[in-house]
Amino acid sequence: MNPLTVAALFAVVLAFLIVAFLALTTYNAIVDLRLRIDKAWSNIDVALKQRFDQLPNLVEAVRDVMSWEKDVLTDVAAARAAYSPSAPIPDQAATSAATTSAVRSLFAVVERYPEVRSAANVLALQEEIERLESMIADRRELYNDQVYRYNTRIAQVPAVLLAGLFGWRARPFFEVPDADRRRPDADLRADPNPQPD
Amino acid sequence: MPPTVDPQMLVVSGGGLLAGLGLLARGLRGYRRAGQIADTAPSRIASIAVGEVLVSGVVESAELTLVSPLQSVDCVFYRSRIDEANGETVGTEFREERAVGFRIRDETGSLRVFPRGARFDIPPVFDERSGALGEEPAGLMMRAGATYAPPADRDAQIAALLTVHAPAGPLPSGGEVDDGWRGFASDHLLDGHYTSAPRRHYREARLEPGDIVTILGLALPFDQLADPAGADGTESADPQLVDPEIAADLASARDAGTLRSPQDAWGNAAIPGFGIGRPVRAPELDEAATEPHLAAAGDAQRFERTFEIAPDALILAASQTVPLVIAGGPPAAAASRQERLFLIGLLGAVLAIGSAMAMAVMVGGGIGGP
Repeated sequence: MNPLTVAALFAVVLAFLIVAFLALTTYNAIVDLRLRIDKAWSNIDVALKQRFDQLPNLVEAVRDVMSWEKDVLTDVAAARAAYSPSAPIPDQAATSAATTSAVRSLFAVVERYPEVRSAANVLALQEEIERLESMIADRRELYNDQVYRYNTRIAQVPAVLLAGLFGWRARPFFEVPDADRRRPDADLRADPNPQPD
Repeated sequence: MPPTVDPQMLVVSGGGLLAGLGLLARGLRGYRRAGQIADTAPSRIASIAVGEVLVSGVVESAELTLVSPLQSVDCVFYRSRIDEANGETVGTEFREERAVGFRIRDETGSLRVFPRGARFDIPPVFDERSGALGEEPAGLMMRAGATYAPPADRDAQIAALLTVHAPAGPLPSGGEVDDGWRGFASDHLLDGHYTSAPRRHYREARLEPGDIVTILGLALPFDQLADPAGADGTESADPQLVDPEIAADLASARDAGTLRSPQDAWGNAAIPGFGIGRPVRAPELDEAATEPHLAAAGDAQRFERTFEIAPDALILAASQTVPLVIAGGPPAAAASRQERLFLIGLLGAVLAIGSAMAMAVMVGGGIGGP
């Protein structure tokens, strides 16, 4: 065979190998990204479950003293009941935001009851739930960052060329609905030592 | 008549082909690594979960630091190398890479890193050559003492910086500074014969406390780390892993129940802070012994934190499935270094193809040859 033909064949094979490597690496990277998103979501789910388990303890700890603050306690209970691990991510985001809002309202009301606020078990539960809230917020940020990287990657060359072939679609963010961005309704100017009706 | 081939040109083309392929292979590895870093969202240390994670933060020393061989700087990792060119020959005179365990801190907390098995991607901070006359480069300060050092006390460093020191004593040699030239002249010129000095190339990459670093690795509870002592450096420190006789002795002692806890085996020395005269709890002493002062609460917490890692505390380490990558700088800088390698790799492919074409032209006697 003509040496120049051999050299030309070498160039074609090398170019093909580079393209094949890029395609294979991109495919593996996208699979990896999808698994990372699933893992990030699972990590949020773990924290949501932990908060779900802690909420009855908190409600139980404050129920006797705050039995006339039924609205706040009911909101917390309702938000907890709405938790469903199998629901779509946007629904879970809405439920999580509603739970956070209800818990914040409860903590704001607890501030008006010195005997409740200073109880060791309430303090410990409050600390634990705040830790979980912070963890959920951080992990939600990590999840959204991972989704952003995935959505960006499948929209760029070379992954966009493979996206149609393998049916890769953008994943939803864990977004807080606008309605849940409001501050908790708690009248902090109320009488610091209210009497039951 | 067969074409005449210049063997020298053929060797050059062959070298170009191999170098190009080498650059391409390195570039493709860089492409994959850049993707690994760029595709992983960085976690915050306080909310980190078990599994593969990417964290970015500032390096803090843990129990020990290293002293770098070429510049004697306290660090947690170094890769140092001295190449010497003497006439026609070029060789590596010295090559050393070492790491110790350290902590990485971000705005939410800190995490212990066990660097065994890690791949370090740290750009060199010292890259100098000796002069044509053999004079050493500025900044070269070869290590004269031990490889390991206690971590620098930040308060002591600040105090030392703010202290006004007395002027140094009289200069040696009657008040004159030996500038190196004099020594070189006496060695090479003053005997009437000029002997060319070997040219040395000094390179040192290192990771110092305070540097920004990006780490991709496995977060796992400390008690799930297979080899805690060995994982704390780049070499295995666990004798079980290197000496089967010791491993057998340890196994039989464990079976016989005679393997003692650190507290039993070390006594007071197992108490954090005991070695520096500020134990965190009261030691058991002879009646005649002087009672040491217990460490203050803040110090005690610091000592406990330094030397004891809770079993369920998350740490970062390498595993069979997740490699540990420690890269200097923030994630974007680490990824862009690898992307640069990929671009160089593509140029390498062009070089390889060009070299192959050149070889073909030489062997075939030009375009249109047989």
